[in-house]
Amino acid sequence: MELFTQTIDTVRSFVSAHAGFKTWKEDLDHSWPDGNRDIVLKEDMGLELGSPEKDSISCLLWTGDIASIVDGNITLVGPDFPESAGRSLPFGKVVLLGVEGFDEDNAYDRHKELDYLRYDLNLKGFMMRAVSQYMREWCRVSRAALSQGFSAKVLGSSIMKLFRTRPYVKTVEVLYFTSSTEDVTRLGQITSPAEKVIAAMNKMAAEFDYDCVSCDYQEVCDEAEGLKGMREKLKNKTKEVQHD
Amino acid sequence: MTDKKILALCGKGGVGKTSVSALMVKLLASRNGKKVLAIDADPAVGLATALGITVKKTVDDIRKDLINGIRKSGPQGGSETLKRLDYDVFDALEERDGFALLAIGRPEDEGCFCKVNNLLKDIIADLAGKFDVVLIDGEAGIEQINRRVMKTVDHLVLVSDTSVKGLGVANSIAQVANEKKAVDFSSMGLVLNRVRTLAEVEAISTRINLDLYGWLYDDDLIRSLDFSGEPLTGMPDSSPSLAVASRILEKIGVLS
Repeated sequence: MELFTQTIDTVRSFVSAHAGFKTWKEDLDHSWPDGNRDIVLKEDMGLELGSPEKDSISCLLWTGDIASIVDGNITLVGPDFPESAGRSLPFGKVVLLGVEGFDEDNAYDRHKELDYLRYDLNLKGFMMRAVSQYMREWCRVSRAALSQGFSAKVLGSSIMKLFRTRPYVKTVEVLYFTSSTEDVTRLGQITSPAEKVIAAMNKMAAEFDYDCVSCDYQEVCDEAEGLKGMREKLKNKTKEVQHD
Repeated sequence: MTDKKILALCGKGGVGKTSVSALMVKLLASRNGKKVLAIDADPAVGLATALGITVKKTVDDIRKDLINGIRKSGPQGGSETLKRLDYDVFDALEERDGFALLAIGRPEDEGCFCKVNNLLKDIIADLAGKFDVVLIDGEAGIEQINRRVMKTVDHLVLVSDTSVKGLGVANSIAQVANEKKAVDFSSMGLVLNRVRTLAEVEAISTRINLDLYGWLYDDDLIRSLDFSGEPLTGMPDSSPSLAVASRILEKIGVLS
């Protein structure tokens, strides 16, 4: 089942259009110490990413084409965290996953499960607040963490470790954007079709009304084959429940 | 300073509770290395003003936004709602040198959304747990602190002027706290404000059945700052009122 192929391709083209982006391989040997789910207040803050006053986009995209994801790759467009000390930067994050066994029955639940994994991230000197419906992620890195080398590579490696705990995740890639407001805004535009697909999935899961004529997401469902299948399955399930 | 401490200041409206709160926040903020959270639970958002802060968003604004969203688009999942409220509450935090302020705003006025209120209370409690000292400037009634902010505090600080009315309200609050267990607390005491003479304090001491934490003399500088709308954070360190507030905080073990 595929829902995000086009968006993944466009995101990749967008990254390629930037000269000088950096790429690292996931660091499997070193892990950042756990925190105590601390908050990072401004007085202790070394760097802020995607604050409510700045642009911020966070997006999770998956595909069954496992090989199309460059496993363990962390890409950064823009300055890395240690060299941005004292700044508040716009922030874009796209997680690309190669997954196995996603179908109309389990795709929504698995997407949710994957989306919530980021809240399990508990790193010393790092604070994250995120809202899926805003597609925003607001992070703060403490001065101490920054001086000890907290970087995009550290963050990317840590989040990858979480995704690898799910047996159906086969390949993981993370892309970060800290370059400019324009880039993060553009990234938001690029990922907006995915946002609509996710919103449509949320609506399907929350409602038992499948009157597509009056639905705001009719166009989205018509374009995304996978959503159509999901809708049909849910319709049938509802009918079965009614008959019972 | 000892471990985490939560203080709630209550008392009749107009007795200077917010001024005492502001002095305490100023003192706590100037002691390095501790995270201080001031919670303005007064609907008039007086503590924010006394600390020179213009509040951009209150917890009540967040609550209303969420409820309007639910009315418009239907309910979100519980986890999703929790994450959204957590984000919004952190965004509502006003961070300044040495302290952060969270304004609760007006009380609920449109129907019962207990689930939302309880989620917000959980989030506030969780946030408060990340700070070393939490000071709540409450309304007159402690039931409101329980309902809108948190159920458990360490020190219940009753503030009153020397008037019979003010002391009557302080006594009532103490009664509600003791008998109805409206809020769980470890210690409770009275701070007398706007005292003119020592004789007043002595006379009141014989009439009340409360531990007297301390008393502040009527302070022309506070009056003048209040009159001109200046924040009390501008009080000089040599201010006698600050010295008294400091002694009170030391007495209850919040400052050392």
